[in-house]
Amino acid sequence: MVLFSIPFHEITESFGAAVSCLSTSHLTDEVIRRSKRMILDTLGVGLLGTSTPVFNTVLQCSQQALENSKVWGRPGLSLPPQYAAFVNGVAVHSMDFDDTWHPATHPSGAVLPAVLALAETLPVKPSGLELLLAFSVGIEVQGRLLRFSKEAHNIPKRFHPPAVVGVMGSAAATAKLLGLPAAQSIAALAIACSSAGAPMANAATQTKPLHMGNAARGGLEATQLALLGLEGNAQILDLESGFGAFYPDYVPHPLAEVTPTSRYRWVLEDQNIAQKRFPAHLGMHWVADAAIEARAKFLDKCPNADLSQIKKITLRVPTSRYVDCPLPVSEHQARHSFQFNCCTALLDGEVTVESFSKSQMIRSALKEMLLKVQLENPQDNHSSFEKMYCEIAVETTQGEMFTARCNTFYGHWRKPLSHVDLVRKFRANASTVLSAEVVEGIIYTVDHLDTNQDCSMLWSYMHFNKHMMDRNERRSSALA
Amino acid sequence: MELGGVTRSTRYLSAISAARGLHKSALDVVERPAPEETVTSSFGRFIQSVQPRHLSPTVLQRSKRMVLDSIGVGLLGSTTDVFELALQHCQHMYAPDDVSFVYGRQGVKLSPTLAAFVNGVAAHSMDFDDTWHPATHPSGAVLPALLAISDMFHNNSKPSGLDFLTAFNVGIEIQGWLMRFSNEAHNIPKRFHPPSVVGTMGSAAACARLLSLDRNQCSNALAIAASLAGAPMANAATQSKPLHIGNASRLGLEAALLASRGLEASPLVLDAVPGVAGFSAFYEDYAPNPIASLEEHEHSFLIETQDIAFKRFPAHLGMHWIADAATVVHKTLVGLKGGSVSPNLVQEILLRVPLSKYINRPFPETEHQARHSFQFNACTALLDGEVTVQSFHTEALQRPELLALLSRVRVEHPHDNPANFNIMYGEVEVTLVSGDVLRGRCDTFYGHWRNPLSQESLQKKFRSNAGAVLSNERVERLIEAVEGLDHLDDCKPLLAQLQ
Repeated sequence: MVLFSIPFHEITESFGAAVSCLSTSHLTDEVIRRSKRMILDTLGVGLLGTSTPVFNTVLQCSQQALENSKVWGRPGLSLPPQYAAFVNGVAVHSMDFDDTWHPATHPSGAVLPAVLALAETLPVKPSGLELLLAFSVGIEVQGRLLRFSKEAHNIPKRFHPPAVVGVMGSAAATAKLLGLPAAQSIAALAIACSSAGAPMANAATQTKPLHMGNAARGGLEATQLALLGLEGNAQILDLESGFGAFYPDYVPHPLAEVTPTSRYRWVLEDQNIAQKRFPAHLGMHWVADAAIEARAKFLDKCPNADLSQIKKITLRVPTSRYVDCPLPVSEHQARHSFQFNCCTALLDGEVTVESFSKSQMIRSALKEMLLKVQLENPQDNHSSFEKMYCEIAVETTQGEMFTARCNTFYGHWRKPLSHVDLVRKFRANASTVLSAEVVEGIIYTVDHLDTNQDCSMLWSYMHFNKHMMDRNERRSSALA
Repeated sequence: MELGGVTRSTRYLSAISAARGLHKSALDVVERPAPEETVTSSFGRFIQSVQPRHLSPTVLQRSKRMVLDSIGVGLLGSTTDVFELALQHCQHMYAPDDVSFVYGRQGVKLSPTLAAFVNGVAAHSMDFDDTWHPATHPSGAVLPALLAISDMFHNNSKPSGLDFLTAFNVGIEIQGWLMRFSNEAHNIPKRFHPPSVVGTMGSAAACARLLSLDRNQCSNALAIAASLAGAPMANAATQSKPLHIGNASRLGLEAALLASRGLEASPLVLDAVPGVAGFSAFYEDYAPNPIASLEEHEHSFLIETQDIAFKRFPAHLGMHWIADAATVVHKTLVGLKGGSVSPNLVQEILLRVPLSKYINRPFPETEHQARHSFQFNACTALLDGEVTVQSFHTEALQRPELLALLSRVRVEHPHDNPANFNIMYGEVEVTLVSGDVLRGRCDTFYGHWRNPLSQESLQKKFRSNAGAVLSNERVERLIEAVEGLDHLDDCKPLLAQLQ
């Protein structure tokens, strides 16, 4: 067998080629279906997120006078596209409610805000299919890059994946939307790489959502700079000193060649995505499902039982320092706490958006229960969203033991949310900010995205807020 | 939706317990006493509490030299293509609070963050800006952001020269401190480009100081900045490299502004927390130490004991050793034969330099590559007796005599020549067709921190750079303003010449 050595620059070149050659004809039904679900979910999550303090902070910070792209949930307010992508990206990740993939990252939040913000500024608006294509390219590039490292397959410890691959995805997607030739797509990727990477330590803090916002912004900016002729290292994905800087074990591979008639195998086809049922780190979903089951068993046996009869709770979870938080103080910490999500699920039988509100977090019953939780890290419980499980053992004062185990929570890629439940999540999120009519309008538009020639109503819909008057209308009515 | 009634110490408690306790039960956590100070909070405290009186005369003098050089380099850099590109980009992107000046573009204004960005790009556009040990380009990341903020202040409340210098030094100091947390940082970088790692942090610190943020806000500014830090080395020697400094300056400023609006981030970002990387993400070996409290200890700024290198020509620092070594041979050759050096005399050129892939380029094609090529700089110095700004112009790059010499170069990496700016040397050995062998060696080039540029040389460099875009009058007024910076009641005289 002859061993070929891959020419030095082939990998990056292959990415540039793929990004520029993939076309709507390569989109399969399954890819279209899955990406529409992702888009719907992301929009809903983003709208909900526009009500958070972190979103308001970054919005204030970014406000500028010459505007081109709409800010979600802020009628009358627009920003230059990068800043719109930034704030909207922050909104999407503000409550950790957005989608999660394997290997681990939150792919859609880095791509969708950038693609929509950019699309809005184009003199000729893209068709729905072109939007879907750009979106898919952004997801695909992230999936491919994550597969270049074994470390990427585990729950992260060093760099927060959306900040690493997300910005690359955003660059690829926006380059695709602009129809850049391969060389410029490569430049966009190279420039974006210099904006990649944020340490894990800011997870579970108010700054984490900015990782997503910055990924969206950075990728879009990179594309704009590439369009103006800026160049970076044309071998950025090949080099250890390039994208490889973010991984200790970096083994890149070129993407397969794309011809107009060939079939393209998208990562999204082989690897589905997880969509969350409540706004917390993915690991919390296993804990919640296990706790809900244990609670049901407990109440089944003792229908009138008082949950304060619980003496001890043992959680068997994978080792992951940044989601081990015995007494969370902020909502951000609570979303990253095995213990908190366990106790909430035990007390309430569910974890919801409301569970992370101030009033729910300070409940004394919850605080008392938190003191009873013990974590264990069994050797066979791998820190990977593909392999982990959660086992719970609840011991009562009467000496009884109730156990449950969750291997695959509902919403995981192995057990995806039904269409009905996904839409239900969207409605619940979106209607905190939009009227029923507009909510249905978005559902309809996304559902028909691949057949719609003009999808500009999509960002128009995102621009409403049932609680606010349009800023411009307000001004004119004040003058009246 | 944060818990209003909970005190800061409790928040600290759970953060520390997450860091220390493995999975201690919550009961243990509640009983633990208040923690001692963290590395991160010590930084926040330092930034907030350091005052002008902490600046010694040496620190003042050295920092003024750095300010002068950085402005000059920035002004010259405003004539480059990459600068023009970044400027157009920002003008399109566009800013409503366009109050901050842009180097070399009289009357043009941008928002403070974008001004910091483009001016930072200008500063590093030709690799002409200062270099420190451990390796980074500290001033370019800090100065543009501070100048941009200064433009933001109302005319009646501009910072004093001393306040400005304090903030500047805080920005430099933080960078120096952070680099000392890693042995890896002491060598010529391979993975992340240092200005994008520590530069962003330095800019955040300096801006936090100038904006007079409280110590928690200062810590948060650093933590927010950490999420904006880090660019891979691969983009060095490309047109994108200058953006590393531009972004460091801009993003550090953004981090400080976000912190001033109340954004919070990890309180342990500079501490070494096993299993969750903070700033440590950028290094293989990370061992942080807290900065001692200013109330209890005399603070000695790092610049005091570790001076900085100013470049004599716009290329990577390593090039300065090899150029000086080659110049020695040039002088000998010219002395022997008179007139100029002809490639026909040369049989072979041997360079003894440290091993560093990104500055080993036998045939550079662009000016960016040329600035990062031992071979190019050696041959240029051999031919011309010096390397200058003009040496990197397209015509100069393509000279047939230069190409002839380049094809005769061989490179060796002696074991005693490590990739470290404090220890390395450059040696040039030229074998003539006649059989004679001429040697030149440089251990410490003129401009290195061990052999710093005289004040005359530094001003000469500034005049040459700034004079490319400003009138002689403005050039002289700038020199005066910087020279007297610590005596200015407000820094308007400095800003006025740059508008």
